[in-house]
Order: sequence, then C-alpha cells, then structure tokens
Amino acid sequence: MLVAGVNPVDGFSALLIGALGNVPETAETLVQTTSLLFPALGIALAFRAGLFNIGAEGQLLIGGLLAGVIGERFIAPGFIAIPLLLLAGAVGGGVWGALAGWLRSRFSANEVIATLMLNYVAIQVAAYAITGPLKSAAGEGNETGELPASSWLPTILPDTRLTIALVLAVALALFLRWMLRSTVAGYQLRAVGDAPRAAQRAGIDLAKMRFWTMTFSGAIAGFGGATIVLGVLHRFNLALSPGYGFIGIAVALVGELDPIWVTVAAFVFGILQNGAIGMQAAADVPRDVVTAIEGLIILVLAGRRIITRSGAD
Amino acid sequence: MAAIALRGIVKRFGDLVAVDGVDLELEGGLIVGLIGENGAGKSTLANIAFGALAPDEGTVERNGVVGLVHQHFQLVERLSVWENVLLGREPRKGWRLDVAAARARVRELGERYGLHVDPDAIVETLPIGLKQRVELLRELEREPAILLLDEPTAVLAPGEIESFFTTIVTLAKRGVAILVVTHKLAEVIAYTSRVNVMRAGKIVARYVTAQTTTAELARAMVGGEIPPLTQRTVLPRQVLPVVHVQGLQANTESDSIDGVDLVVQAGEILGIAGVEGNGQTALADALAGLVPYEGTIRFRDEDLGPALGPRGRIVRGMQIIPQDRQHEALVLDWTVTENAILGRERNREFRRGPQIDRAAARAFAQTIVERFDVRPPRVDARVRDLSGGNQQKIVVGRVLAGEPTFVLAYQPTRGIDVGAAALVQSRLIEARNAGTAILLISFGLDEIFALADRVVVLYRGKIAGEFGRDAFDRARIGALMAGAS
Repeated sequence: MLVAGVNPVDGFSALLIGALGNVPETAETLVQTTSLLFPALGIALAFRAGLFNIGAEGQLLIGGLLAGVIGERFIAPGFIAIPLLLLAGAVGGGVWGALAGWLRSRFSANEVIATLMLNYVAIQVAAYAITGPLKSAAGEGNETGELPASSWLPTILPDTRLTIALVLAVALALFLRWMLRSTVAGYQLRAVGDAPRAAQRAGIDLAKMRFWTMTFSGAIAGFGGATIVLGVLHRFNLALSPGYGFIGIAVALVGELDPIWVTVAAFVFGILQNGAIGMQAAADVPRDVVTAIEGLIILVLAGRRIITRSGAD
Repeated sequence: MAAIALRGIVKRFGDLVAVDGVDLELEGGLIVGLIGENGAGKSTLANIAFGALAPDEGTVERNGVVGLVHQHFQLVERLSVWENVLLGREPRKGWRLDVAAARARVRELGERYGLHVDPDAIVETLPIGLKQRVELLRELEREPAILLLDEPTAVLAPGEIESFFTTIVTLAKRGVAILVVTHKLAEVIAYTSRVNVMRAGKIVARYVTAQTTTAELARAMVGGEIPPLTQRTVLPRQVLPVVHVQGLQANTESDSIDGVDLVVQAGEILGIAGVEGNGQTALADALAGLVPYEGTIRFRDEDLGPALGPRGRIVRGMQIIPQDRQHEALVLDWTVTENAILGRERNREFRRGPQIDRAAARAFAQTIVERFDVRPPRVDARVRDLSGGNQQKIVVGRVLAGEPTFVLAYQPTRGIDVGAAALVQSRLIEARNAGTAILLISFGLDEIFALADRVVVLYRGKIAGEFGRDAFDRARIGALMAGAS
C-alpha cells in the first residue's frame, strides 16, 4: 500500500469498513466467504489424503456449467429443482475430480499437473458448450440464459445475495470434520495422506482411496460452483469465479486443512475479497494490492507444503 | 598428546539431553569402541567430534583432519568412484578436470590401503561392500589423523566385515586414531583396544577390551541383566504347510528374486539369511501382495494370486512386520491408539456404524502397551515421540494381537535397543510355540541363530542353501551369503 502511495492504516480501515461496515456489505462478505469455502473444503479434503488438488477452479466451473445449462431449461418447483441442480453441480465437479483421480491411480500421473491442466480444459469445454451445442435462445456470449426464479437459492437476508448456501457450506465443514476425525473412512483417508506406505501395508487400497477422494473433492468444488449459479448470478457465466479455486488453496492451507479453521480462514479471505472494493473506492488503493497479497500467501504456503512433502519422502 | 579430545560435551535437542557431560580422548594408533543402545547418544557424539554438530557446552580439540564414515553411505549413486572420492577436491588442469590425475589418485589410494575399486565404476552398480570402500576411500583421501566410523558394518556380510576391519587395523598401525561406534559387541571385542559404554547421554563405563567380555558389555549397555529368551517348545510336525512358495519371481526397486521355493510350517520359524539387497525385499513384498509376481504362493490350501492385495492376505490371517517401521508400519504423527488399530479399523470390534469406536480402540491399545511394556505406557502418546524400540513394540504387538496364522517378520529388531529386541524376539518365539508360522528375514546371523528352526540362505535372488537348527554352521552360512558355491 505504501508503494501505491496510500497510508496503510487508512487503507486497511477502508478495507474493513468496506467489508463489514454495514449489513449489505457484511452480507456480501459472507457471499464471498461461501464461494471460497466450498472449493477450500474440497481442497482441504484432498490435501489431507496427500493429494494436491490444484484443480478446484476447473471442478467449480464444470459444476456451475452443469447447474447452469440444466437449470435454464429445467422448470420445476424449487424443492425439486434446487436439490437436483446442486446435485448436478456436484456430479460435474466430481467427474472432473475423478478424471484427475483416475489419471493418478491408473497412470501414476502427478495430480498437481493433471488437475492444473484440467482447469484449462474446463474453461474450453465450458466455452464450447455454451456457445455451441448447449447454447440456448436466451444465452449470449459468455453466459447462459437466466434460471427460472423458482430455481434460485432462497436468501437468508432480504435484499442481499446471501443465501442458504452459507448454511450448507458451514454444515459441510462440520460434516467433514466429523468424517475426518471420527469415521473409518476419515481414518483411512488420513492414513493414506500421512503414511501411504503404512496404509497400503495395512490393507488400504491406495488407488481406490485416491480416486474417490479426488472425486469427492471435485464434487464439493462443483457443488460450490452450482451455488454461485443458483444463488449469486442466477445463470452460468464463464467468469463466474474470480479464482475461488486458486484462492481456496490458500484458504485451505491457512486453515491448516481443518474444516473448522478453513471456515474461519474463508471468512478472513472473504473480508479481503469484498473489502478490496471498498478500499479501492474509499482510499484509492488498487484492488490489485489485495490480489497481490493473496498471491503471496498462496506462494508462501503452497511452497512450504510442497517442500515439507518432498522432504518427508 | 591426544589426536582428539572432547571435554565436558553437552548437547541438547529441545528437552532431550542427547549427550550429557562426556569426556573422551582418542590417541593415534589405537582403535577405540563406543557402544550403547539406540538413542544413547553415540551418533550425536560422533557428529560433534567430527564437527557436523556444535556442542552446547564443552570443548573439542582436534589435532589433525577428522574423517567420518556414516552408517548410511553418503555417496552420489550416479557418479563414478573417482568422482565420489574426489568430490569437491577434483584435480584440475586450468579450468578443466584432470581426469587422468583423478584416476591415478584413486588407484594410488587403493594400493596404499588395500582398498581396490575400479575408479571408473558407477557407484550404483557396485555391491554394498565396495560402496563401503568408496566411502572409506573418500575419507582417507583427506589423510585424516582421526577416523570416526558410525556403525560401519551394519550392511556388510561376515566376510566383508572381516576385510573391512583388516583395513582399519592397518590404518591404526599407521598412526590414525580410530573410533568405532557400534552396537555389535563381538566386533568391539575382536578389534578394539578400549571400549566406552554410553547410556542415556553419559559414558557409564570404560574398559580395556582384553579385560572384559561381551556379557559384561551388554550389562553395562542395558544397565542390568537382559532377560533370557523364551524357550522353544517341541511341536508335532504338521502335514500341510502354512505357506508354500514355488518358483517365485518378483522385482522391487531395490532387489529381485528369481525362482524361490519355500515351505513354512505351523509352529516353525524359517530364517532367511542373506546380505541386504539379495532379494529379501522382493520376497517380502510378493508375500505381502504389494508387487506383481510370477510363480505361486499357497496359503494353507488356497493359491493366493498376485491380484489378491494386502487386504485379502490380512483377512486370511497373514500379518507382516515391515522392515521400515517409521514409513511402512506406523503413522508417526498419530497416537498409540490410532496406530494400534491400523489394519483393523474396519473390523466390527472397532466400529460403531460408520464411526470408530474410540473406547474399544483405546482398550485394545492398552493391552498391547501392557503386554509389550511400552514406555511411557500412555496410549495417547504420539508415536513419533517414542523411542525406536517402543515404536517397534507397538508394531509387533499389533501383528501378534490377532493370533495370526502366518507372520512375515522383516528385520524385526532392526536398530532397536537390546532390551526391546529381546522382548520382541521372545514374543515371536511364544507365537511360534502357539502354532504361528513365521518367516524371519534378518541381516543379522545372530538373530537368525537365536530364533530360527531352519534357515535358508538367499543370494542374488536364489536359495543358496538350507540348514536345520541342529546343523547351523556360521562359517558355511557366511560363505554362502557372500556367494561361495
């Protein structure tokens, strides 16, 4: 901020006021929190199994795509349409995660590279789909037509974009924490992540565990993509994510891969995301400063993680 | 004047006092032994003497260059012998390497010390004994006045050990001061003139080697008597073998087997003798269902295919004690309880619906901790914080808890202290007495002689000989291990 020629104290207070200064801004911060939390939880789950899922962005996009293209055509009461479309998002992201998981299990492909590359494939697939075979009459350019209002996620604060997606995300975090700590499946997943060779000798099928973990990790991100389509934009847009899947990596790592702390970290990043706009307006700090800060956090944390892993091998 | 003098050395790692006030002097021409259990502080002390670690208190006075030969070779496998020996000190001609001079230098060193190795051989292609020579040559190249050897014979065959010490004795005669850090008491008795015993960071006893015995040294190391091993009972001979291996071929990254036939009976310990790298890992991994293989492995009356992975073998009553407990058996950051149920987490006794039954897991861990005298006896301790011996007690306890039909024990007492090793060995004999079939793979002949009912020698992936317990012949087995026909 000094570089941008602004007093950092002014800049930060503008950021906080912009993020939490009033009810609409706080709600918008929570919208950002929600959109970050889904991919971050998916990433955290994969990381706990020792899988470096860098592909949440693509998984989220494919999830959103499925929810969007089905959603604009599918007219049904909300209690049918909403669960179905969210499920479609999870399936889309899950398939995208499963692809990487399959490449890893079948060909020992490095999941970092596989998931990263699948991000680009996802963008191209989505762009092709909505301009080509799945283009609807109402859709134009980078987006599909609007979803029928019955398929929108119900808001929990009137006149804001804050929907029940936040509740679902927090519930998911609680579920994942219970799953990892208390269940047999969570125990096996952690064993594969913490000591794969010991897990293998104890009879845990590494390939199977890695495949399903990547699938669920992708499904969570895809579900998140669907909540953006159903709750925030009410349509699919190629630019529906300003990088949630990448920032989600930092969120997961700042939260030490513990779903509860990941939730807290998502809130902090939500403040950054939303407050940046306020900061830009009030203190004239370019929002790129926030992007740069986030980038630095990702770099430092991802670097540390990969270094400690290669050291452990 | 001492070649090296350590005075009042103290070294702490966090709360742990690894070395606690040690005085030690070495003189030129003398071979001195430093013995102690794992974790007694021997290697730390050697590293301080070498200069790799700085002491927190005390002084080190060195009169000459110090060389250190590590237990784990510090060689660049892809490089040639001369490149390794002269790494960082390569002779130059202008800005180019003087390869001819380098070769000549390595040959000359080899001549002088009787350590012949082809200077152009690539290190990864050399057998272990020759790698050890390269390691030693590298240190000797710097003309050390003091040579520290940290567990130098851990991976050598009996014949190789003898020739290694011949070289060391020659070096001593030339005036080099030598410290041998080891837990092999027989080598200390055979080759040193003085012995220092370390326990819990202190030197607790010093002997003139000629005036002591292995039994006395062992007592000093452990700080008490070692309990005798459980007696083996005579069991009726079974008709059907538990494990019947025929024509087994398998490869791993480290070794391979090529046509191995084996039979292991119930109530029998079959020992696999051999130098590391002669197929032990391939045999173990094939039995455990970890690698593809050709040939057959019959378990009781069933032919287990390679497609049947570890899980299928475990549920049939096959258990393994892996070689590398820290990576292959335990999750170090987990508690004793979590580790105790690894491999049994799906069993009905430890689950309540989708959840793990924590109370049942704790109770199970508690029985292992008690039966194997794990210290500290806390089931919520993190396994990483336990000593190697206590970690291994958990592994062996877990394996034997289900009264398995067959146990594959790969180096079950590797790197653990004498007390824990005796306990582990006794428990294995008890399991054998109770009818378990045990395949024991060990690089130590002492362990095989102590435990095995029969022994087969593995050399270059094939069985080189078989001996019944009443026909164990150390010289003959040692020769077969080194490749004699």
